[in-house]
Amino acid sequence: MTEPLVLQPKLDLPAAAPLAEALRGRLDGDVVLDGSQVTQVGALCLQVMLSAATSLRSKGHAMSLTNLSDKVVEQLAQMGFSPETLAEGRG
Amino acid sequence: MSDQNDPMAEIRASFFIECEELLEALQDGLQEMDEAEDGSEDPETINVVFRAVHSIKGGAGAFGLEALVRFAHRYETVLDEVRNGVLHPDSDAMKLFFLAADHLSDLVRACRDETPLPEETSEELLTRLDALLGDEGGAEEVAPEDFQPMGLSLGLDLPDLDAPTANHFTIRFKPEQELFATGNEPLMLLRNLCDLGTSSVRCNLTDLPALEDLAPETPYIEWLIELETEAAEPEIRDVFEFVDGLCEIEITGGASEPETTDSAPLPEAPSEEAEPEAALTEMPEPQVAPPPPAGAKPEDKEAAKETGEGRKGGAAAAKSVVRVDLERIERLVNLVGELVINQAMLSQSLDEAGLSPHSDAMNGLEEFQRLTRDIQDSVMMIRAQPVKSLFQRMSRIVREASAAVDKDVRLITEGEGTEVDKTVIERLSDPLTHMIRNAVDHGLEGAADRETAGKPRAGTVKLTAAHRSGRVIIEVADDGAGINRKRVQEIAVNKGLIPPDIQLSDSEIDNLLFLPGFSTAKTVSNLSGRGVGMDVVKTAIQSLGGRITINSEPNKGTTFSISLPLTLAVLDGMVVNVAGETLVLPLNVVVETLSLGPDDVQMLRPGHYVVRVRGGFVPLYDLGVMLGYRQQRKTEAGAIVLLIVLEDSTRAALVIDGIQDQRQVVIKGLDDSFYRAPGIAAATILGDGQIALILDPADVIAGMGHMRGADLMLSERMIANE
Repeated sequence: MTEPLVLQPKLDLPAAAPLAEALRGRLDGDVVLDGSQVTQVGALCLQVMLSAATSLRSKGHAMSLTNLSDKVVEQLAQMGFSPETLAEGRG
Repeated sequence: MSDQNDPMAEIRASFFIECEELLEALQDGLQEMDEAEDGSEDPETINVVFRAVHSIKGGAGAFGLEALVRFAHRYETVLDEVRNGVLHPDSDAMKLFFLAADHLSDLVRACRDETPLPEETSEELLTRLDALLGDEGGAEEVAPEDFQPMGLSLGLDLPDLDAPTANHFTIRFKPEQELFATGNEPLMLLRNLCDLGTSSVRCNLTDLPALEDLAPETPYIEWLIELETEAAEPEIRDVFEFVDGLCEIEITGGASEPETTDSAPLPEAPSEEAEPEAALTEMPEPQVAPPPPAGAKPEDKEAAKETGEGRKGGAAAAKSVVRVDLERIERLVNLVGELVINQAMLSQSLDEAGLSPHSDAMNGLEEFQRLTRDIQDSVMMIRAQPVKSLFQRMSRIVREASAAVDKDVRLITEGEGTEVDKTVIERLSDPLTHMIRNAVDHGLEGAADRETAGKPRAGTVKLTAAHRSGRVIIEVADDGAGINRKRVQEIAVNKGLIPPDIQLSDSEIDNLLFLPGFSTAKTVSNLSGRGVGMDVVKTAIQSLGGRITINSEPNKGTTFSISLPLTLAVLDGMVVNVAGETLVLPLNVVVETLSLGPDDVQMLRPGHYVVRVRGGFVPLYDLGVMLGYRQQRKTEAGAIVLLIVLEDSTRAALVIDGIQDQRQVVIKGLDDSFYRAPGIAAATILGDGQIALILDPADVIAGMGHMRGADLMLSERMIANE
């Protein structure tokens, strides 16, 4: 089991490229995203995670999100997602 | 948090920009309502007014600007009564609406600048607004504190398009890259949208590529929102106001349009229908469906694209506007300026290379010149703005000024669409405010005096803007008593501004108003006469490259005309030589060039000459002497003379040594740290890289002002004696 990837507190525009980079390096196994520090999820980072989830699934791996705060779960819901649907890359 | 990339700060800033536009719409609407005959108001006008206040309230709520929300809410409640036809505002109510709009704009600015809020005025106005409800809207009991998102109390039975029936909307929202680049987040918009009613949000991931192919900063996803709301479509559009042009928005449905064709699946692709559906996610009832396989089928993408395009075509083509940071435009303007200089340099080198004027290079250069000019005009157009916002501010000034001196004043504006450089507009605000106050305070008589003079009790101030021969003319005209010239001259003599025995023409007396420290008001009112005189106005206008003139007729009124250059960046100039220096004169003042014969010049007194031009005499000035380049020469015979006519019709002949060229020059402002040389307006860089000073002819002539009046009179006498 690889180390969880600790997500940045603010997943906004500047965070999207580094997050994509970090995830691209982990497409060869299951990925656990640690959302304990996250306070804000933006649409671009959301896209990156969704795309990563789809890519992982197509390779037979899984992605999961842990330690999300209620606030973040609410933000995801407002964008039409739950932590589970996000982890499955289908919202 | 407080770094410059803080998205909230940016959104907040754009909210306040938005507010300015809404306030403008509010003023416009109120004006229209005020002008309409009783009962003939267009219901849409009232809607516009209502929506403006409502949108400000909505935005203010998002930023926790409590005071603004509170005031806007109660103001909106009253406007809602008007909208629902319960309240019919009389002229007093309209005045109150104007006051409330002014106050709302004060509150917006106070919130923006984080300055103390004028709470007392809020309270007073709110009490008066509530009184309107109490008197006229008695049928309805509105608890002022009852904070409803929309004032929807009445009107259920009215055939109002905005009537509060539950509407069903389908909203497609696809953010574009710029939306993020400007600090916006879809989350905020979705949240605001959901606040309007009950909603379900689905995200379409059809276009989302695999991670390897994904550009992290490019948005691929779009949202489909099903919204049940009592709000009308404009309210929904309001949610996206801040991101206008930064996303694709498509709103379908609504009360009058229950089903839409746009959202229907593609008819010819029933088998593919499942695919995009599968890629749609829904909350709070997520569909369980397999994800699209990585590297989605190209035809699926095509289908999705087609759907998108079909929808796009269905949506009304809204006027798309881009907000650009002024700094970027400034940079562009500067670059174009450099381009003009560069082109001049190229032109000069080709000239020096001795190329035939008919050569291809020369022809090409001519084309290049035309293009440069077109580019320059286009860039200037970007900076140009209608003077409307400025005029609206003035209508407030009139309202306040007339209330302060207890006069009934009507402001008529014309030519609000006239476009002027943004910098000019900003810098015109103060002088214009002063002129308007002056017109109300000094220009117009009291109601009793007006009646005696056979005029309507209400005075009129007319504010007009127009383009005239490459300049912008702004006029402030009142229908008052006109300038009391006798009194003006008396005061000027008493204050020692002019010698007691001097004979002055009417226009010369009028111009005394522009002398520093001049004030004609018998009593200093709290409105004007605060020690800031028309001289300050004149200085401000001159610093914009403009001129101000007065025209006054007894008992008919006074008109102040400001003439301004369209732009502060380029100038058509005449390049001349004076005492070995290269100078540029604005071409628009030069009417004629002549070379002096021995008999053309006549001496008035030592050092003061006039030149005979077409049967008249014009004062002759040696530019070299005036600018301190050389001593007065014994004779000016053989010299070249430029005959100039200024805005106020003053004529003068300027002696120069030679004319070099006539060309467009780029104005480069002189740094403030330079000594402000009289007669010099700015500088420019010529084709050969040399720096040339640009003259302000009016200032040059004014420098000789002490002798001008006397000289003119002498020359008039000489003509009479002829």
